[in-house]
Amino acid sequence: MSTAEIFDRGYRKFDGERAGLGQAVRSVSWHTIRSILGIGRKGRHKVFPIIISVIAFLPSVGFLALAVLIGDLLEGELQPEYWELFGLPIVAVVLFATLVAPEAIVRDRRDGMLRLYLSTPLTKPIYLAAKFIAVMSTMAIVVAGPVLLFLVGNTIQSLGPDGFGEWIEVLVKVVLSSLIIVLFMTSVSLAASSLTDRRAFASVAVLGVIIGVSIVVNIAVERIGVSRNLLVLDPFAVSLETAARIFGNVSPEFTEAGDDVPTWMVYSGTAGWILVGLGILTDRYRRLASV
Amino acid sequence: MTGSVSPARAVGLTHRLLFRQLLTRGRVIALLLLGGVTILAAVGVAVSDDVDDAAVTTIEIIDGLGLVLVVPIVSLVFASASLGDGREDGTLVYLWLRPMDRLPVVVGAYLASLTISLPLTVAPLGAAAAVGGAGADGITATVIASVIGVVAYSALFVLLGLLVKNSIIWGLAYVLLWEGLFTQFSEAIGQAAVRGYLRAVLADLSDVSLSDALDVSTATAVIVAAGVMVGSIAIAAMRLERMEID
Amino acid sequence: MPLPPPPPPPPTGSPITPPPPTGAPLAGAPQIARLVDGGDVMVEASGLTKTFGDVVAVSDVTFQIGRGITAILGPNGAGKSTLFRMLCGLTPPSKGTVTVLGRNARRDRDVRGRIGLAPQQDALFDRLSAHDFVTFTARTHGVSDAEAQARRALGFVDLDADDPKPVGSFSKGMRQRAKLAAAVVNDPDVLVLDEPLTGLDPVQRQRMIALFNELAAQDKCLLVSSHVLDEVARLGSSVLVIAQGRLAAAGDYRSLRNQMDDRPHRIRIGTDRPKELGSLLIQRGLAQGVTVDVTGVSADTTDVDALGRAIAPLAVEFGAQLNEFSPLDDDLESVFRYLVEHRR
Repeated sequence: MSTAEIFDRGYRKFDGERAGLGQAVRSVSWHTIRSILGIGRKGRHKVFPIIISVIAFLPSVGFLALAVLIGDLLEGELQPEYWELFGLPIVAVVLFATLVAPEAIVRDRRDGMLRLYLSTPLTKPIYLAAKFIAVMSTMAIVVAGPVLLFLVGNTIQSLGPDGFGEWIEVLVKVVLSSLIIVLFMTSVSLAASSLTDRRAFASVAVLGVIIGVSIVVNIAVERIGVSRNLLVLDPFAVSLETAARIFGNVSPEFTEAGDDVPTWMVYSGTAGWILVGLGILTDRYRRLASV
Repeated sequence: MTGSVSPARAVGLTHRLLFRQLLTRGRVIALLLLGGVTILAAVGVAVSDDVDDAAVTTIEIIDGLGLVLVVPIVSLVFASASLGDGREDGTLVYLWLRPMDRLPVVVGAYLASLTISLPLTVAPLGAAAAVGGAGADGITATVIASVIGVVAYSALFVLLGLLVKNSIIWGLAYVLLWEGLFTQFSEAIGQAAVRGYLRAVLADLSDVSLSDALDVSTATAVIVAAGVMVGSIAIAAMRLERMEID
Repeated sequence: MPLPPPPPPPPTGSPITPPPPTGAPLAGAPQIARLVDGGDVMVEASGLTKTFGDVVAVSDVTFQIGRGITAILGPNGAGKSTLFRMLCGLTPPSKGTVTVLGRNARRDRDVRGRIGLAPQQDALFDRLSAHDFVTFTARTHGVSDAEAQARRALGFVDLDADDPKPVGSFSKGMRQRAKLAAAVVNDPDVLVLDEPLTGLDPVQRQRMIALFNELAAQDKCLLVSSHVLDEVARLGSSVLVIAQGRLAAAGDYRSLRNQMDDRPHRIRIGTDRPKELGSLLIQRGLAQGVTVDVTGVSADTTDVDALGRAIAPLAVEFGAQLNEFSPLDDDLESVFRYLVEHRR
């Protein structure tokens, strides 16, 4: 009997190196970022992210342009503080959140992709972590980007912080503030998006939570005379105020008759929003029917 | 046995169908909550000892919450979905490939969204005005401004639902960016936004001064809203005639 | 693609006849697929082309279709659904014209009432019951006794008119039947059915095919696209084959097979002496290739008639028994594969 070998049986199990969970997370995150920003898709999918990014960067670019054109005349006047810059494009940031978060997680539930993801080594918590990373990364473009641009632009024009040590200190504060605001927006917007299976309604839910609550709290504080401490429940204000406190400042809204809203309350409010958002998000996905 | 369908009948058939399709429990509850928040704020005004003039404060709440959020968002959710949902999920063919003119179909869709949006806005905002102590003038102003707002926004957003995918995102961008942000830079832009006219009506009829409100009369605001409605519906009908149906 | 030579007289029962001498040829059309059995032209396309940007979905398609069932065949992405959408006016052609009952459905409101469409997509008004959905369809077609007609249509497709469940909860097969009921409720003259057999179990498919034949017997024009070729074959033999947006073939698919001269026919010959018979067939030039197995021979031949005449004397000559002589690739699937395969 002659010896024989079969070289190709057709379908075989994969015998190569498996890249592991880290690669799975990176893949999911990168794919989500591409989807959000319209990378690899037709031009119309990029319109919104581009428009909103442009609006977010406008204040920084505007102030830098002022500095370049008439900086000598201004002598540093009319230049905002770094922490103030976080608040200027906040409407664009919120709009970005209403676009980004639903795009990241709602589509997977609706199209059945979530089932496919969870049939891999990805578990629900790891899947959510990957999505969280993706949303945070894209939000960072419109939150951190403008302020970092402003810092670099000022530095180039010798309007930046004095000395290397102070420059690093400002950079660290900018990064830390950005991280907190991005974490905040991501947590709240993903939580709101987990409440419905339609992207459009998820967007409305994100908007309703962020802007709706903000308006109500402001009415309560400004019109009805409730204590200013209630502002820690205002998602707009508390995240921006956190940035202000990191820079050692207090916004006028958080001060009344010389009394500042305590910093620990501001930090607690922000942490509370983040934790509640994370809690709602994980709970919603835990309850999802077995996929 | 078959024949073409009269415009009136086409309006009625479309209205009945889309009314049923739009009226889902989740949407109604979520948007009632939105309106309910206004009532809650008004209750706060009513019970607070720190409010100098309840009527003025209540009108400011109607302005800041009702006209900024409740009226446009409720209108957007239902109007953009009236024909937009059919466009996106492929059911629009069941309205299009029929011996019916396009204008009655658009009118029927518009009326369906109005039928739902009006009670969900006028009722809570009117109730908020009453609870907050805005007085008869304030309640009337609130109701009229809300009605004008829903009429104008709904027409705009019915058109939007036919023009673009993800019409809610575009609608939110209009509400937040155009009406919320850009109008602050110039009065000319302010005159190209629905909210400006609603604020003008609210201020005019309640006799409460609202900051940066457009200086136009209620009659002008009504005419502008009617123009927006007619123009949007007409363009939507032309769009429906010419668009490609999946 | 040049016109094929006139086909030999078709087998009995074929709905296709050579073009009648009356009627002017379609202007500007280099080739005409005419599937009109002596009656009226119900659907007519001339130089029909549709492009989406750089993608040519349908290219220069010209045909005339009469009453009865015409199957539209083609692989995925061939342009069948785009063709149907243009017929119904849902999308305008980039070039060329298409008319239904002599009118343009995109512009003519009244002709839209004489078309019944069961689209490919699954979407229905999910919150309505089947009865409500079909009644609504009837009313929007201006049907005078809408509820009664809706019941009749639902009965046609074996759906319970009194079932209050919304169509959103229906299975795929039930949704398909609801769509079909809606397509027939207005008693249309032209029915456009895009993949109507998808999602149906075999019994339901048989029922639907019987229904389609019933409708065809009522002198309606049915255009049916499907991938279920063996059942399309049971709908009748009139086909329009679309491949890569172009009209690949039209007519009776059995006649089409006969015209595929460049492709040998495969004949199955059952015999008790397969090896000897196989060799003889090759030696005598009656077959260009043979495949031999225990029970017989599959012979590839370009001249079926010659083989048919010679096989019996050959078997007698060397004492073999013959127990089968049948074509293996005369079916629709073979025709279809041949027409579309080499285009990929």
